[in-house]
Amino acid sequence: MLIAIAALVATAAVLPAVARRWGRAAFAVGSVVVLATLGLALVRYTAGYRTESLAWAPVAGLEFTVRLDALALLMTVLVSGIGAVVLAYFTRYASRGEEGIGRDAAVLVLFAGAMLGLVLADDVLSLYLFWELTSICSFLLVGGNGLKGEARRAAKQALLVTILGGLAMLLGLILLGTAAGTFRVSELVASPPGGGVAVAGIVLVLVGVFTKSAQLPFHPWLPAAMVAPTPVSAYLHAAAMVKAGVYLVARLAPAFAERPVWWVPLVVIGLATMVLGGWRALRQHDLKLLLAFGTVSQLGFLLVLLAVGTYTAALAGAALLLAHGLFKSALFLTAGVIDTRAGTRDVRELSGLGRRWPLLAACATLAAASMAGLPPLVGFVAKEAAFKAFTHADPRSALVLVGVLAGSVLTVAYTLRFLIGAFGGRGAEPGEVGRPGVVLTTAVAVPVAASVVLGVAPGVAELLAGDYAGVFGAATYHLELWHGFTPPLLESAIVLAAGYLLYRRTAAATRAGAALPGVLDAQRGYRAAVVGLEALARGVTSRLQTGSLPAYVGIILVTVIGVPAVGLLTGPIEQLSPRAWNSALQLPLTVLALAAAATVPFARRRLTAVLLTGLVGYAIGGVFLVVGAPDLALAQVLVETLTLVVFVFVLRRFPPAFRRVERESPLRHRTRLVVACAGGAFVALLTLVFSSLRERPSEAGAAYVASAKDEAGATNVVNAIIVDFRALDTLGEITVLLVAATGAASLGLAARSARRRALPTADGDRGQREDEEVTA
Amino acid sequence: MTNVFLAQADIEAPPIDYAAILPMLIILGAACVGVLFEAFLPKHQRWPGQVTLSLLALAGAGVALGAYAGDSPERGVTTLSGTLAVDRPALFLWGTLLALALAALLLIADRSVEPGGAFVAQAGIAPGTVQDREQVGSTGMQTEVFPLTLFALGGMMAFTAANDLLTMFIALEVLSLPLYLMCGLARRRRLISQEAAVKYFLLGAFASAFFLYGLALLYGYAGSVRLADIANATAGTDRSDTLLFAGLGLLLVGLLFKGSVGPFHTWTPDVYQGAPTPITAFMAACTKVAAFGAILRVLTVAFETTNWEWRGVLWAVAIVSMLIGAVLGLTQTDVKRMIAYSSIAHAGFLLIGTMALTDEGLSGTMFYLLAYGFTTLAAFGVISLVRDSTGEATHLSAWAGLAKRSPLLAGVFTFLLLALAGIPLTSGFVGKFVVFSAALSDGMAPLVVIALVFSAVAAFFYLRVVVLMYFSEPAPEGPSVSVPGAFTTAAITLGVVVTLLLGVAPTFALDWAGAGGFALGS
Repeated sequence: MLIAIAALVATAAVLPAVARRWGRAAFAVGSVVVLATLGLALVRYTAGYRTESLAWAPVAGLEFTVRLDALALLMTVLVSGIGAVVLAYFTRYASRGEEGIGRDAAVLVLFAGAMLGLVLADDVLSLYLFWELTSICSFLLVGGNGLKGEARRAAKQALLVTILGGLAMLLGLILLGTAAGTFRVSELVASPPGGGVAVAGIVLVLVGVFTKSAQLPFHPWLPAAMVAPTPVSAYLHAAAMVKAGVYLVARLAPAFAERPVWWVPLVVIGLATMVLGGWRALRQHDLKLLLAFGTVSQLGFLLVLLAVGTYTAALAGAALLLAHGLFKSALFLTAGVIDTRAGTRDVRELSGLGRRWPLLAACATLAAASMAGLPPLVGFVAKEAAFKAFTHADPRSALVLVGVLAGSVLTVAYTLRFLIGAFGGRGAEPGEVGRPGVVLTTAVAVPVAASVVLGVAPGVAELLAGDYAGVFGAATYHLELWHGFTPPLLESAIVLAAGYLLYRRTAAATRAGAALPGVLDAQRGYRAAVVGLEALARGVTSRLQTGSLPAYVGIILVTVIGVPAVGLLTGPIEQLSPRAWNSALQLPLTVLALAAAATVPFARRRLTAVLLTGLVGYAIGGVFLVVGAPDLALAQVLVETLTLVVFVFVLRRFPPAFRRVERESPLRHRTRLVVACAGGAFVALLTLVFSSLRERPSEAGAAYVASAKDEAGATNVVNAIIVDFRALDTLGEITVLLVAATGAASLGLAARSARRRALPTADGDRGQREDEEVTA
Repeated sequence: MTNVFLAQADIEAPPIDYAAILPMLIILGAACVGVLFEAFLPKHQRWPGQVTLSLLALAGAGVALGAYAGDSPERGVTTLSGTLAVDRPALFLWGTLLALALAALLLIADRSVEPGGAFVAQAGIAPGTVQDREQVGSTGMQTEVFPLTLFALGGMMAFTAANDLLTMFIALEVLSLPLYLMCGLARRRRLISQEAAVKYFLLGAFASAFFLYGLALLYGYAGSVRLADIANATAGTDRSDTLLFAGLGLLLVGLLFKGSVGPFHTWTPDVYQGAPTPITAFMAACTKVAAFGAILRVLTVAFETTNWEWRGVLWAVAIVSMLIGAVLGLTQTDVKRMIAYSSIAHAGFLLIGTMALTDEGLSGTMFYLLAYGFTTLAAFGVISLVRDSTGEATHLSAWAGLAKRSPLLAGVFTFLLLALAGIPLTSGFVGKFVVFSAALSDGMAPLVVIALVFSAVAAFFYLRVVVLMYFSEPAPEGPSVSVPGAFTTAAITLGVVVTLLLGVAPTFALDWAGAGGFALGS
């Protein structure tokens, strides 16, 4: 089956070229290839094919394994079968010579490939890879050419929600995989891990499922994505994208169905979504939006069925998966025909289309009947099984049954609204009404025909659905059109009747609903989250990234002080017993240095600041002298003098005074003061601590001291080291100094000869000012 | 007098394994020759001379490296009296550095995108003067950039192989000083460029001082600057831990600064934005490799036994870095700044792999460095192509609808952004995967979880650019896309091909990265 995925990706790569040459025929090419993968899957499955793997990066443990079992084949039938129908439909839906044919065809085929990979993948990472690939494909399809703002927003929302959910899912799968010690999905299901990690993993996986399958409270992206071309919506809703979450639940249910952390959220959220989706669908005027909320509702239903892990529920879930794919694709394609040929899809404007297009209306009616659960269609068969699965005496089943029945009543009501809204009425048509054409009608008729066939002969559907449900126990129930007079039949009848009544009272119900406040507007929540994140980032940036050098140094300083200071203050600080001074002369010198350092920040003129800094250096040189290191003192004084001279040379080219900085906030000023003082105190403390920590003189030092007198004839060890023991080093240092001095001098000379007339900057920009601030 | 005899005693020169250090010698030697070229070649011959010399040096070093790596000893060798350790990780990092430098050098040498090259003709002229306005129109460039690049590269190679802290410090300075200088050489927007150079220099000097301070403390602790000796000293328990950890802390500040890990990242956005784009590319790719190579070596060789003490702090640093990179990246309106924040976030991810201290952690981090280097280099190459009348148009609004004007460029940039975000089938995904799985198996699951969350946030701002390029109306007077010359084309192609190859077939590079550990002996 690897070849099927590869073929789809390769086809997607060439389709833009095909579209450029032959236009809409590109869709037909894609349709044929997608159909071929379905054929391949059926052949392989009957031949007993199971797994296949491709080493990607064995070193890192990256492998791509595919597995074709009943569930995978069931999904493949949906993905490839409906994919082929949608692509065929697109050949006439797109206008001739329309821009973007190549893109749409390629992305749709890639989408099919990604979905195929998703359902076939047997290892966590490829599963995730294809999961995100479907998100990206739907983003590209919904966004279209990106010229409509509405489409961009919808595409972005779909991408954000599903990618974030995907990451949560990846995280959950990784946690589960780590706990189980394997990243193969089949092994994970065979020996599910337990413990707290598994609980966290399951919850995260469910977040992924809820986002992908548009469950509460993540559902708004799906209705918003209705801006996409209708065939894309049909594919998104019937076979791809949203079905990925359902598939994952079906895949993992055998492992986790027993655990409350798995089924409670799924059942509660699923039922809530089912009811809310149906309710919202009932209030829509746009055919596509009506269907979209219908999908949201049906997805909740599917999750409930597939989550609980009994044979009958799983059988019903698998059958409904198939049924939903068939009727939803047919209904969306119908809505697409109406939209393009009648020019609108608002139920308030449509009228009389049923008499105009009897064939299309008949097909749509059959599909809608399947959705509402009327015999002899597969929707009815599946719904019977679903009712049966929950018609038990225990309280859980009873509660679920109530929810499912309520959702089903709503389903019947919005089905009627769709059908009568689209085809009913006898008034005048709105403007020009074209003809649907053979291809479009056939594309609608194919899934409808499949619905009828599977309804009349439910054994065919049970071949696959039963195989899947077999993991949950022995077959105790069969998909049949007629089970006799059983409780589910009664429930079906009640649902249909109640649904009809509700439809007749829609107006009243809607008014009652409008009176309810919009407590939880998920769409508003999404917007607030996005806006809030951006505001937060902007706020943080404007505080941290000011472009000011003092602020940057401050950040580094605070970190450096903050982290080790904690360790220091709790550690060896109490062992310190520093002597105040060795010689009284140290005192005035230190005071001088401190005073000079404290005055520097208040200097107005550059030269004053430099001189004060120099003063600090001279004072320290004095301290060296006092404690008996005249050589060190000499070096210090020399370096200070040299630095001063260089400074004076440089400062000649600067304005004498520092530029007045605009009035700074006192808070910032004080913060800087605190940080600077803390930094200084920290370094002083460090020096104290570290000099007291030295336990023994270094071995090299001891050796030098021992041999200075005998071998170098010197009484000053430092001198002996500089001119004797490490004489070569000294030579090297002198050379380096000389080279540097020569370089500096020649630079100075070159600059003087090159300097002609340097005009002052007339248009000094931001950088110029920043430059001066840096120097300041 | 005995000292007469002492002075005449033979000094035994330490043995030098020339084959092992030949690549480095070639690079540094070529850099010196490059300086001589500047002195003695006439002006019009300098550019071709320097480019030829630099490319030959890189090729020669690559050949020397390949010849040596083929049959290098499993445990590596230390040479120059134990100051350099040429082991498998060092060889891998050298290879990475040479390959990245080749691509960067091609960008630097390009003279077609910006007529005359991205570098100023005479850096000594004050911005805003008459001479400066004249030189905007001239086509010369300061060809000292080439030997400077080679010097920096040589420093980076020494940095990743340094076996003692003093060598490491000298290598740090050798690699940093040319970079400071090169940052200020942009032909356009010279004030911002010079501001970047000054900031980088001042903050870099600050960080170097921290490094030196830490070095001194560690010497006080262990009585040696050799990494192996420090490791031995940590095994004995009678010494003061305060010196050890304060020293390590300060040392790491210096190293993390070079790797632009938050909160020591503050220079990164300003410098990335101000520096000439080819230099930004060189810095972003190669400096990161060098810095993390050194961090890996220091932590693994010298501080492995004490890792439980410092790990907590590095956890915090990694989280802060990812947080800063991902969240602040969201608000950037300049492409170069955005990639800078992305580099800060990536530094956080890299730090996670660095902390693992296992073989998988080592090979994963090195693979990540290789992957990230090529992707980011190519990204900067692409950025240098989008221009308007004032030079590069780096403001994001100028990139709106770029896909309409130049689908190829937008496609390439999208691919690179996806790689930075870590989307499968790109090298970024494999890199994140190996690093995170190494961290997972070393018991850092919470950190990996946090890292995944930040990858998601970071992915958002990459995708924002993609959306902007594809789904926005082009600005009416937007930038044009220059047709790149052969050099830039080659550099971008190299980056894209490696990004793709490492994503599709990473086995070869992973094998190579996992070939062996650090040479632990002195």
